[in-house]
Amino acid sequence: MLDNNGYFLRTIGLQLRFGGVVALWDVTTNLRESEILAIIGPNGAGKSCLLNCMNGFYHAQEGDVFFGEVNISRLKSYKIARLGIARTFQGVQLFPGLNVIENLLTGRHIYMKTNPVQAFLYRPWAHREEIRERRKVEEIIDFLEIKHIRHKLVGELSYGLRKRIDMGRALAMEPKVLLMDEPMAGMNLEEKEDMARFVIDIREALDIPVVLVEHDMQVVMDIADRIYVLNWGNVIAEGTPEEIKKNPEVIQAYLGEERSR
Amino acid sequence: MTMKSAAEKNWAKLPDILNEGIETLPQLMLYQAGRFGDRVLHRKKDFGIWQHYTYIDVVDQVKNFAMGLAALGVKRGETIAIVGENEPELFWSEYAAQSIGAKVVCLYPDLTTSQMEYVIIHSETVTIVCEDQEQVDKALELEEKIPAVHTVIYWDERGMWMYDDPKLMTFKQVQEMGKDYIGKHPESFEGEVAAGKGSDIAVLSYTSGTTGLPKGCILSHTYLFDTVLRIAGAFPMKPFTQYLSYISPAWGTEQMFGVSMGLLVPFVVNFPEEPETVQENIREIGVETLVFAPPQWESLASLVQSKMIDAGRIRRRLFNWGIDVGRRVNVGKLDGEKISRGWRLLYHIADRVVLRHLRDNLGLQDSYFNLSGGSGMAPDVFRFFHSMGVKLRSVYGTTEMNLLTMNQGEAYNLETVGTLLPVLPRLGPPLECKTTDEGELLVKGGLGFLGYYKNPEATAKRMKDGWYCTGDVVNITERGELVYLDRLDDMRRLSTGHLYPPQYIETRLRFSPFIKNTMTLGDDEKPFVGAFIDIDASTLGPWAEERKVAYSTFTDLSQNREIIELIKSEIEKVNHFLPEKSRVKRFVNLPKELDPDEDELTRSRKIRRDFLEKKYANFITAIYSDKSEFEAKVPVKYQDGRTGILKASVYINDL
Repeated sequence: MLDNNGYFLRTIGLQLRFGGVVALWDVTTNLRESEILAIIGPNGAGKSCLLNCMNGFYHAQEGDVFFGEVNISRLKSYKIARLGIARTFQGVQLFPGLNVIENLLTGRHIYMKTNPVQAFLYRPWAHREEIRERRKVEEIIDFLEIKHIRHKLVGELSYGLRKRIDMGRALAMEPKVLLMDEPMAGMNLEEKEDMARFVIDIREALDIPVVLVEHDMQVVMDIADRIYVLNWGNVIAEGTPEEIKKNPEVIQAYLGEERSR
Repeated sequence: MTMKSAAEKNWAKLPDILNEGIETLPQLMLYQAGRFGDRVLHRKKDFGIWQHYTYIDVVDQVKNFAMGLAALGVKRGETIAIVGENEPELFWSEYAAQSIGAKVVCLYPDLTTSQMEYVIIHSETVTIVCEDQEQVDKALELEEKIPAVHTVIYWDERGMWMYDDPKLMTFKQVQEMGKDYIGKHPESFEGEVAAGKGSDIAVLSYTSGTTGLPKGCILSHTYLFDTVLRIAGAFPMKPFTQYLSYISPAWGTEQMFGVSMGLLVPFVVNFPEEPETVQENIREIGVETLVFAPPQWESLASLVQSKMIDAGRIRRRLFNWGIDVGRRVNVGKLDGEKISRGWRLLYHIADRVVLRHLRDNLGLQDSYFNLSGGSGMAPDVFRFFHSMGVKLRSVYGTTEMNLLTMNQGEAYNLETVGTLLPVLPRLGPPLECKTTDEGELLVKGGLGFLGYYKNPEATAKRMKDGWYCTGDVVNITERGELVYLDRLDDMRRLSTGHLYPPQYIETRLRFSPFIKNTMTLGDDEKPFVGAFIDIDASTLGPWAEERKVAYSTFTDLSQNREIIELIKSEIEKVNHFLPEKSRVKRFVNLPKELDPDEDELTRSRKIRRDFLEKKYANFITAIYSDKSEFEAKVPVKYQDGRTGILKASVYINDL
């Protein structure tokens, strides 16, 4: 999936405008193989917009998005999903009336081939498919340690667990890249630690690179390999957590400027 | 028919393993594999499906792992430590180590690193078998302090992708080494197993250490056979009984049941998917025998009660009616009463309408042999289960002297822990018991106490003229049933000279769905009994919500006026059964939950009295002053390891 430069996913000179409002301005980023990449920035910096451009929810007016060698900037989001870019959302977007297994199975829809007639007759087509897909889902249940709630309705679960299932559904697609929009938002310390461990596990065990939009600086500094900092739609810095911590522009964007006396 | 002949009948149904020359667990495993071959011994839920392992599978796993250990240089008489949740690999590791004559020490998976260090060093462990990353991390953290450990093995490879310590190996890698070894030395496994002797140490069982450093109690193979045959003599069990292995093998009781009895009876030993799914798993497999410690039975009972608190009015009344009928009939039967035809009919209806469904929902419909191991569970809990139609029996013993008594037969007194168990004559003389003037129970018989590992002084301290001193205060009834009162060290004398049983009071208080834990106060400097109450937020939270009682934190909830009134009424219920001078007079609700991570509870969730007395010394001073409120400061340790001070205004409440 890599292009000539060893990049997995790239945005080149993205410009996104909503009427007169400039959301992204000349944003060039790249994601390397097996990397946890964090995108940080103050509120309204354009982080979620950038993620939305990557998976085709928004189409930038200027610039391109490359997934390996493929230019995906004009593709519809469902096509991008089929190519292997999965994402989770800031708010949880699950089916509250379905149980955990069923919610995870919805992530497998791109692999299901049974047609309505076969499904009606059930055996052997739908039966075989169900066994295969259920097995995949069970692997994810095992991976995310949610065995004790597999039959629970998602609507009854705590927020932290729903976030985990949201992530599970994205993993059910067997993606090549995972985009995560604020996975730690609204979580308590313990849930955050769990989530951070799963993000690291996704990279280490499944070898899936992760793009992470996150507000919690401590988490980002702990788990990210590399960070992009956005402010007012511009990339103002790029580097390892150590470099970013020391970057004066970042400090200014986050803490503001000292007022001259 | 006398007790003895009943035991002989029960023994006759089992294979005569002693005549077959079987002395060790691995020998028993091979013998049973020869008889049952492709029948199921172990089952474990994996990827949502129950996977089974037949005798042939298990022998294969054990054999490869055993010879892998041999190839790693583990020798006869050396020690293997195993730490993890109950999983097939844990049992296989144990049988494998014993196959090559090594002894096993099982550790509770939630031990802290320093607690683990002591046992590993004291037991002279050479190899640690870990479940997963969590345990491996602890073992590696100790690496420099435990140089004798040459290999750390793990079976769950999750999260272990980036580890490259040279001492680390996976369970499968060791088995591969074993296969190679067997290739070069065929029959070596069978030879090693045959060389085992009954007197070999099978397990070192470290006592949970409510007081002082843990002591490693020696359990030989013969000891384990002795225990299994005591139970099997007292109660006939069906071959291939469905058993759920949940209590930790670090506790001697599981060594006796899952590990040893599992092979002899034999059981189908089922392993829960996760500790959180136990309740669900019990129901899926339809357990036929269940051995829990009192806290687990208690929590099962409070689960039912708290669910009924949430239920609608009609259902609640129906439930109460069903339980009342069940109590009248089943508990009546236990007391040897004759049940009239009218009640029997009523029971039939109650069973159809309520009780059967309760049992079914708990997964206990088919469970014919239920034990509460350990001492001191409130008889109310027993009565509750009996009312439901679940025959719950008490079994009492010490790790040192093996299982001693059990509620036997069909009529027994729930206030007691039962009568002495039979001993197979070839293994030792029958059990005998007597009490000292102070009420301490002394026992002898059976195989007897084999001693603490490398600790002859402590061993000698427990023996007096050939009797083993249990340190437990009991009362022996005319029918020979033992009433467990308390630990001798824990019976307390008030400054007025009155002796009162703290544990007796505590277990009865713990049965309240609103009280999670409690500790009674009162000694020779204090004139009355006081108590710390650790409230149960999981039931009080919803209780408060339902009544629109506002609260923010646990601390706030604990000091809420209405909550205090509720707890007061719960204590009064217990006080009602106590003599005037033993009643709880003043109490406080602790402003934080007791936590084993802060050493306030032992790993088996018993309170650590001495520690709490020091940590909450100012609470105690306040209870025995005339104050009704005071400003408390409590050191706390947060989940992430940080520490802080909790400040709260705490009420002292009078009864």
